[in-house]
Amino acid sequence: MTIELPPHARERLKGLRNAAHPKGVFTSDFSVNEFLLVRKAGFEPIGLCVGSCVYHVGIQYTAWSRNQELQVLSDAMYKARELAISRMRAEAAAMGADGIVGVKLTIKRLEWDEKLLEFIAIGTGVVHGVGLKGFRAHDGGPFTSDLSGQDFWSLLHAGYRPVELVMGSCVYHVAHRGILSSLGTVGRNVELENFTTAMYEAREIAIDRMQAEAAAAKAEGVVGVDIHEGNHAWQSHVIEFFAIGTAVLPLEKEIAPEKIPDPIMVLSVND
Amino acid sequence: MGIQEDILFAIRTDGCPKSTQQRLFGVRSGALPWIATLTPAELMITRSHGFRPISAVSATCWMHYGWSWTLGHEQGWNTALTRLREEARAAGANAVLDVKMRTIALHVEESMDFTLTGTAVYVEGLPSGNEPIIATVPALEFVKLLEADVVPTGIAVGAHYEWLLDWRGTADPRWSYVNTEAVQLSHLWERVRRKAHENLRIHARGQGNGVLAHVNFSQMFEGEAGEQKGYLGRHIVIATTVDARRGAQFPHAVSIVVDMHAGKTPLTGTTRHHQSYAMNEEEGGI
Repeated sequence: MTIELPPHARERLKGLRNAAHPKGVFTSDFSVNEFLLVRKAGFEPIGLCVGSCVYHVGIQYTAWSRNQELQVLSDAMYKARELAISRMRAEAAAMGADGIVGVKLTIKRLEWDEKLLEFIAIGTGVVHGVGLKGFRAHDGGPFTSDLSGQDFWSLLHAGYRPVELVMGSCVYHVAHRGILSSLGTVGRNVELENFTTAMYEAREIAIDRMQAEAAAAKAEGVVGVDIHEGNHAWQSHVIEFFAIGTAVLPLEKEIAPEKIPDPIMVLSVND
Repeated sequence: MGIQEDILFAIRTDGCPKSTQQRLFGVRSGALPWIATLTPAELMITRSHGFRPISAVSATCWMHYGWSWTLGHEQGWNTALTRLREEARAAGANAVLDVKMRTIALHVEESMDFTLTGTAVYVEGLPSGNEPIIATVPALEFVKLLEADVVPTGIAVGAHYEWLLDWRGTADPRWSYVNTEAVQLSHLWERVRRKAHENLRIHARGQGNGVLAHVNFSQMFEGEAGEQKGYLGRHIVIATTVDARRGAQFPHAVSIVVDMHAGKTPLTGTTRHHQSYAMNEEEGGI
């Protein structure tokens, strides 16, 4: 015997399935606040999109006493992330998503081989609830963004829309100091200029690359930029500078700038 | 001139490298996208409070402490601060927000890097001709302060160390059966801390009329000072300097709100803006 659902519940289920979720059920990794704010922004989640790339990182030998970018490693770290992201984006496009919010990028080491890294990109594909156009990236595909659902709402209400997750990577070998230069620093506080130089050069390369990606996406700016360093079990003087952020463009007509309310400042009494 | 020579020349003159200058010029002229560490919520206030993001900026000084670990910190942060101001100037900015103090985990003995990163912005209505403001607070807190008629201006560092020579081995009353104060050590600590605070005051004076201190780092060691037994005490205090009008009132009413933010609420204030002192628990040279 089957249980008869009340007619309005049946209608409702049909509506849900047909209107915003053509594939039946939506999946997302949203929290409650995130879900509510994405919907408040006029979007509906349709499905988790994922892209993965297992990458063998090549070998590059370096001169012990030289500051230099390790091009082979930079390329590997960039290419593998790029592959994972583009696969995630292809899945979103197949779902008919206008964009992906809350993209998380992770790198996993595979335990049997230290040169094998898995790069994973995962996020929630969303569509505009009433089908407003104008949210796609410049190539007509879904936008990508590592901003949370809350940040997504805030961004739209700041008069901007996300375009593309942009990034720049630079894996750099910092020169070891020679014996002579070590002796010269006994008893004095001195700056280790070649170390400082290395930091400057590596950081600038990473930022420059991220900015070039944003320019190629025809963005006005990049928000939520994070520049951090990481060492993925390379030798001690090898370090990756990685810059990542969401490239944005002003909204054209969805929210008129004069309608954007001034935010209210809050002082918390808890601390 | 190669890129590394260019950077070397820049750091020797505490300036901004040409390659970075060119990129920043591209942003100023609108040829390149702006870059901001600001969150979207902070982007909202760019319109309401009249400021324009320009670029993420950063400065580094990698110090080797051949002479003094403690004073190296004062020197390192100050140098990085000077360079950050120069880079902000090259960006056409009058303020750097969201300034974070960072140290890269590339352990090289007896040395440490002092890195400052932040977002250079142009704030309308700030008096021109002054040095770029360095604000070690996020953009939201920056405008909170501005609305309260307080201007965060920079970073002040106060550091001091002192050796206590223990001729008679009495500083630590370790064999005493009764409760007793280790008077010499108390005095050492007090002197070191007070002197560090005094240095903080001196260093802050050039930048504002007050400080909000956010790092208080101190260590004491027992060791050998030459032939003698001795104790080393050192204290570093780092603060955001502010320019505040005395008695100015915060113009807003208090209301109760529900926060929709996931995780730790940003309403409770500044996220940790430094990670340079958690990892320096080991002994350094002095």
